[in-house]
Amino acid sequence: MILKADHMENNHSWQLLKHLSSREIKARYKQSFLGFFWIVLNPLFQLIILSFVFSNVIRFENLGVPYPVFLFVGLLSWIFFDTAVSQSSSALTENAALLKQVYFPRELLVASVVIAKALDFFIASVVLLFLMIIFHVSLTPLLLLILPIFVLQAIFTFSFALIISSLNLFYRDTQYFFGLILKLWFYLTPVIYPMEVFPDKWRFIFKLNPMSVFINAYRQVLLAHDWPNFISLGIGVFVTLTLFILSYGLFKKLEGSFADVV
Amino acid sequence: MKPIIFNAVNKSYFLHHQRTIKELVQAIFKGQKTREKVYALQDVSFEVEKGTTVGIIGRNGAGKSTMLKLMAGVTKATSGALKITGKVAPLIELGAGFHPELTGRENIYLNGVILGMTEEQISKKFKDICSFSELEEKFIQMPVKHYSSGMYMRLAFSIAIFTDPDILLVDEILAVGDSAFQKKCFQKMNEFKERNITIIYISHSMMQVKEFCNRVIYLKGGKIAFDGETKIGIKKYLDDIES
Repeated sequence: MILKADHMENNHSWQLLKHLSSREIKARYKQSFLGFFWIVLNPLFQLIILSFVFSNVIRFENLGVPYPVFLFVGLLSWIFFDTAVSQSSSALTENAALLKQVYFPRELLVASVVIAKALDFFIASVVLLFLMIIFHVSLTPLLLLILPIFVLQAIFTFSFALIISSLNLFYRDTQYFFGLILKLWFYLTPVIYPMEVFPDKWRFIFKLNPMSVFINAYRQVLLAHDWPNFISLGIGVFVTLTLFILSYGLFKKLEGSFADVV
Repeated sequence: MKPIIFNAVNKSYFLHHQRTIKELVQAIFKGQKTREKVYALQDVSFEVEKGTTVGIIGRNGAGKSTMLKLMAGVTKATSGALKITGKVAPLIELGAGFHPELTGRENIYLNGVILGMTEEQISKKFKDICSFSELEEKFIQMPVKHYSSGMYMRLAFSIAIFTDPDILLVDEILAVGDSAFQKKCFQKMNEFKERNITIIYISHSMMQVKEFCNRVIYLKGGKIAFDGETKIGIKKYLDDIES
């Protein structure tokens, strides 16, 4: 009997997550003229600008692959993180009325944003596939490894989003402040440059920065056709899981007072 | 088992005086208070028998909505214990989960699952929801941003009422739609009463409370000032206002 109730509950949470995510996805593109093309146009536009600057103005040597492909792998992964966290910072504040109306696990509101952005990531990945074919980067079975790496990155992103979204309910500056942090973080992550351009003694930054760990791992399996560096990936797993446990705990602790502060 | 039990429930808020970090930092430097404790409910105890319709009355800020929020489970008591048994349908903040860009149909599903129904249950009730809301088929297929506010509220009300609740929480929303629809809402509520569903009803209209409730809880400054017979409670409240 109890088991059955649990099962119902679980099933219902999934349906709720499904509907919240599809609201997130549908609502965003229903009104825009180009609709879903924006998902692809956005990263493509950034790709073209950055490729132009860093192929013609400044050049990186010894990438092993043409720069646009190198760049796009990092860019896709970064855009997922950036857009998911920025958008979920207001996931709770924008649903103030809902928070006051009915109880359901609040983390689903944050998760639905991350899922919507994950869909964007996979759609834009099709462009990456084309780029790889155009630039003669061979496709190997190792590319399937981007899935587990992506799952790890998604958990990391979700954990971050949980903290930002709940703190933003208490102080609305959180989202602006974190916007600045994201800008700095972008430059401390090897998105537009390979980490080899940094002197040895500074490279530990990348080891501790999970975003850099994920991007290096994607590049390793997609472009270098090799297994990712398991030691740095291990650190990535450790940081991600620790962050998840802390942020989920914090979120659940604050959850009871969400309706009081919105 | 009694569907609603409150045992010495306290609810206090911290009133944050600052909304931004800039204000917070300024306040700390000036040595001002950054937050203040405010009691919304103090030592509130009562039980509700299944099938009772309880009117909650009191002036603005007396703690009525806080009480409803506690029952809806969206906020937690600061101390004391409360137990709610059964499925709760909150008729508060109606249409909170609506998205203007989505169609009526999509919003019915979205709001239905938010209110705790499964997709299968919604599909079964879909026709009833539409017909109760009196929305024509073409409107159901239209984004709700094109709805009039009356249509919007009618749809929201219809979804909430078809969730098969054990407990219905009503916060002064029977001002939904035109008078014909209001009458229909009351009929529906009476039908719930007959089906032995527990109803908690907040209203400032003493006429409606008198007509509708078999018990009244009068809240004054976060405390229960009266709990019992509807007529006596209303009289006490009206006397207090006049004096």
